[in-house]
Amino acid sequence: MKTFLRAAAAIASKDLRSEMRTKEAFNASFAFAMVILVLFSFAFDPDSEELQTISGGLLWLVFSFAGALILNRSFARELQNDCLDALMSAPVPVAAVFFGKVLANYFLLMIVEIAALAAFSILYNTHFSAQFWPVVLVMLLGTWGMTVIGTMFSALTVNLRMREMMLPTLVYPLLIPALMAAMTLTSDLMNGTPLGADNLIWLRVLTGFDFIYTILAMVFIDIVLVG
Amino acid sequence: MTDTRDRIMLLLTAICAALLTFSLYKIFLVLPDEANQGAIYRIVYVHVPAIFTGFTGFFVALGASAAYLITGKLKYDAFAAAVTEVALAFATIVLATGMIWGRIIWGIWWAWDARLTTMLVCWLIYAGYLMLRRAIEEPTQRARLSAVVSIFGCVDILIVWKSIEWWRTQHPAPVLSVRDGGGMGPGMEAPIYWNWLAFMCLAVILVMVRTRQERMAGEIDSLRRMAHSY
Amino acid sequence: MDEARNLSYMFYGFAAAFVILAIYVASLAMRERKLRTEIDRVRRMVEDTSKKN
Repeated sequence: MKTFLRAAAAIASKDLRSEMRTKEAFNASFAFAMVILVLFSFAFDPDSEELQTISGGLLWLVFSFAGALILNRSFARELQNDCLDALMSAPVPVAAVFFGKVLANYFLLMIVEIAALAAFSILYNTHFSAQFWPVVLVMLLGTWGMTVIGTMFSALTVNLRMREMMLPTLVYPLLIPALMAAMTLTSDLMNGTPLGADNLIWLRVLTGFDFIYTILAMVFIDIVLVG
Repeated sequence: MTDTRDRIMLLLTAICAALLTFSLYKIFLVLPDEANQGAIYRIVYVHVPAIFTGFTGFFVALGASAAYLITGKLKYDAFAAAVTEVALAFATIVLATGMIWGRIIWGIWWAWDARLTTMLVCWLIYAGYLMLRRAIEEPTQRARLSAVVSIFGCVDILIVWKSIEWWRTQHPAPVLSVRDGGGMGPGMEAPIYWNWLAFMCLAVILVMVRTRQERMAGEIDSLRRMAHSY
Repeated sequence: MDEARNLSYMFYGFAAAFVILAIYVASLAMRERKLRTEIDRVRRMVEDTSKKN
């Protein structure tokens, strides 16, 4: 267990360090999130009250689109110089490599999301600050599910010709339960409804989704990457 | 070998045709209109058997995918692909007939209710599965990856189903007597099961044809490799 | 009377189901034909190359 975690931490820090040097995934993802945020102002009346009720949905759309850009690169970047083969032949479990990548992606995605959340609340005058911690909790849970599924399918599609097209077509339908729960919860919180009896069920769905897919991904990653 | 296969297919075709003729005769010429819905309620006799057939197919595909991962035999993969494709055809029938029915009964083509949403998500996931199969050429890699997608997809459908069941429900709950006494008139329910049997026969025939095609594609692959190895 | 019975939409429903099945069967038949010509072609190719050597 200890070696597993140490290996995962090593992979995560390697990924984060190489991302720190180029910042290419981060920059692309953040810029894309900003563009979507601006485009929303044309799709809806940005001053209307209606916007408050759908704000959770909009926010998660931004997160999931921005996330796809980061997750797409996660395993694809190892293709150069046969790094992926080297990683697979390293004396650590494949699940540890996968877990390390999940951690790195999670960290990156959270940073992009926090920046996007700040921009969103400034541009659209939403009030999430009253329920700041519950919103953060929902973001942590929702992003975990997104990252696990996204990294898994990034590994699954890494050797395909049509990688960039296959990843979103497979990932988004699978993410529907998590996104549905996260969107409902975030909208509720932004409207001032606290976490409680009415929406606790969604928190359970979100936690359950994270739990089930974390385990499934750890079990199946060996089959996907090694065979 | 092929002889028995052909004979089974012929037999199934005969059974399917007989069942369909019988139940269509019942549906259109014997049974009366339903009190509230008029004639259109008869869509139930396509809609419900098709969903039964479709879901049976998806669960069989889950089993076949797991069997491939355990044994590593490509025949299970070919079978899983065939079953999924046929089940997806039946799922399309469910969506199409459901929309036409809803247009009259609810006044709208589509409602974002639990059952409809689940069905659509299911359709999208398995369409993705089939697209993935087309994108990979190497047979064992294709089998491996698509089996994983099939298992992930099945779990996802269960989660979607559970999570929106208590959320928005416009779709009527099952009215069949297996669940709760039954809300359909006497003699109205039986054709659903007859049609289900007919659809299952049809599905088996289609799966057999499709599996044979997968085998042919595999043969072409190995022949081609042989030709290039000389 | 027929308006209230919604006969036309019932017809559309059944027609849609059978049309979808027909399209699927047609696509199966088309794939079958393509596979057969392909397998013949590849078989001949294998025979030719094995004769040459």
